[in-house]
Amino acid sequence: MNLQVLSCNHHTADLSLREKLAFSTEGDLHQAYRQLKSAFPSTEVVVLSTCNRVELYTAQIDEEMGPSRDEIAKFFSEFHDVPVDLFMNEMWQRHGVEAVRHLFQVACSLDSMVLGEPQIVNQLKEAYRVAQENAACGPLTNPLFQQAIRVSARVRSETELAEGRVSIASVAVGEFGRNIFDRFDDKLIVVIGAGEMAEETLRYLQAEGAKTIVVVNRGFERGQKLAQSFAGSAKPWEELDRWISEADVVVSTTGADQPIMTTSRMKALRKSSGRKPLLILDLGAPRDFEPAIAEIDEDVFLYDIDDLEATCERNKAARSGEVTKALKIIDEETNRFMHDVSHRATGPVIKQLREQWHRMQTEEVERVLQKLSHLEQKDKDYIAKSYEQMVNKMLHPPLEALREEAKSGTPHGLLDALRRLFGIGDR
Amino acid sequence: MLSNVTVFCFLASYVIVLACELIRWLKRSSLNRVLIIGLGCAGLVAQTAYLWNRGLQSDLPPLMASSHDWLLVLSWMAIVLYLFVSLMDKSLAVGPFLLPVVILLIVGALLVSDQPHTIMLGDPDLSVTVLRRWGMLHATLLMFGAGGVMAGCILGLMYLVQHRRLKHKQLLHDGLTLPSLASLARWNWWAGVISFPVLTLGMLIGVGMGWYKQQGSQPVSFADPVIIGYGVVWFVMLVMFFLLVRTRHPGGRQVAWWTIWAFTFLLVTVLGLQILTKGGVASLNSWHAHSRQVLPSSAFVARLS
Repeated sequence: MNLQVLSCNHHTADLSLREKLAFSTEGDLHQAYRQLKSAFPSTEVVVLSTCNRVELYTAQIDEEMGPSRDEIAKFFSEFHDVPVDLFMNEMWQRHGVEAVRHLFQVACSLDSMVLGEPQIVNQLKEAYRVAQENAACGPLTNPLFQQAIRVSARVRSETELAEGRVSIASVAVGEFGRNIFDRFDDKLIVVIGAGEMAEETLRYLQAEGAKTIVVVNRGFERGQKLAQSFAGSAKPWEELDRWISEADVVVSTTGADQPIMTTSRMKALRKSSGRKPLLILDLGAPRDFEPAIAEIDEDVFLYDIDDLEATCERNKAARSGEVTKALKIIDEETNRFMHDVSHRATGPVIKQLREQWHRMQTEEVERVLQKLSHLEQKDKDYIAKSYEQMVNKMLHPPLEALREEAKSGTPHGLLDALRRLFGIGDR
Repeated sequence: MLSNVTVFCFLASYVIVLACELIRWLKRSSLNRVLIIGLGCAGLVAQTAYLWNRGLQSDLPPLMASSHDWLLVLSWMAIVLYLFVSLMDKSLAVGPFLLPVVILLIVGALLVSDQPHTIMLGDPDLSVTVLRRWGMLHATLLMFGAGGVMAGCILGLMYLVQHRRLKHKQLLHDGLTLPSLASLARWNWWAGVISFPVLTLGMLIGVGMGWYKQQGSQPVSFADPVIIGYGVVWFVMLVMFFLLVRTRHPGGRQVAWWTIWAFTFLLVTVLGLQILTKGGVASLNSWHAHSRQVLPSSAFVARLS
């Protein structure tokens, strides 16, 4: 078996390079599979392309065959029109058991930028689906990717690697927002600012069911663009007070030097809004809301970036504690996969050897018993059994040696020797 | 075998379950959960057996037999709810709020009379069966009403802890959750609003039974300390009910405190009256709380004996 992975990921390459090598659309992937099949027709291929990694898994039954690192680099270079020198040093390669272990670690998000994040396994499933659609998988990559998905599920159920949220936006919405409100579909979400953090928080809020979204930004057009991408509406900066007083959730991510909301101004707004709970996620640095606003009344819940980061760090630390447990499972599953692959490789040889020797045994017993036809049945049975035992005893050492050798990979040398010594043909 | 089951059996189980629940706040462990469910179920089985045995001994359903049994049935219902919630959602931290109330009810049950009530005794012409049915309904409604107020109190406590946690930006231990403030406030409000009409209906049936007995040969007085005490509790519940209904958007904390105070008042009054009427230094004389030991004269009690 010749299994390898070539990877350019967030450990080795910066985003600008990863972007250049990424297959950003499914159309790109289909095109890539067509070219790969034409360049390496007998090789199984799976491409995994996410924002954090571009990886190419190739597999071939024959140990000597399969594309080299240079050939794959040439494919990347030609496909993306990027010089090989630009990424060659950032692209590393793993073979055999190390490639399997790497894939399992990726599937379990041990190799992710955010440890334990759940998206990677879906991205992996999607990559496998597209590879299957392009008939790029085969007897090695099919069980490999199926097992990777199973390993991911096992790690999630047997460890706490995915417990707790670890990004600012997910903590803000999941750990605090959901503990205040039981639903978001009837809540008014007011976003102040239109930066990346606002966008990420809105994604989480929308996933929780938020429908009514208002974006208030100093630059109206930018606010409008963000609002449109979340089916919300943009409002002019002058209407900020009105929308805050009506809001249930305020997400503030401006880059202002001074707080945009003072305690006295907020007090006045709370008088007009009544006593309904208000969640303020102040994700601006420096802060957009004065900290004393949290004390205006018991129904104002104000969280700034420090509060949320502290929670993220705690959750990250908890996840790190689970890494050893997850690695142990991955080692176990890697060994199992390698053993299964080896077993599949040695199986046909063992079967043929057994069949051949038992056929000889049956022929020999029949010949002997024809000459000794005067014997009673119990003596005939005894002779037949003796022959069978002798064959089994003779088969035992070579088969045991084969099994032992298969534990550390496919024993190609021994398999060839057995084929030649006992005249076993390829099936 | 049933007679060997004592209050101590299930009380001890619940105390250990509470300890396990408190440990859960500090350290998560699957063994702990097994202990919680296992001991909780063992306690429930023991409590059921105890109540069953009490019913057989007195020939009365536990709700009607005595204040002791009434409190135990209330705690039994709370434990059933606790085990159901714990099995459905292993992360929901309901035990530390509910179990102390259960233990309090069981300890309270030990302090009050465990002798059957003579509440339905008196007029020999009275149909005992009909009176029993009304008595059963009276006790059941009062129990459900009190259960509703108790649920409100537990939800109120959960609300206050959750509110404090969110205000102070604290996190619960991994794997533990509390319902959202919005859910707790809503359930708390409904617990308060539903329990009052149920309690009122139970009280009205009690008043009707008292009036019926007044027509008989052994009339009873409504100026009984226990009845007056329960009337005061009902009035407090009435005030809480109107506060809840009239205040369109009460703050969650406000409702939480109302329900906590309401249940505390209800529990203290009921337990206090029952303890005082049991006898002792400052005993009250009440026909409502009399047991067959105190009034062993009637034919009905004689039949029970």
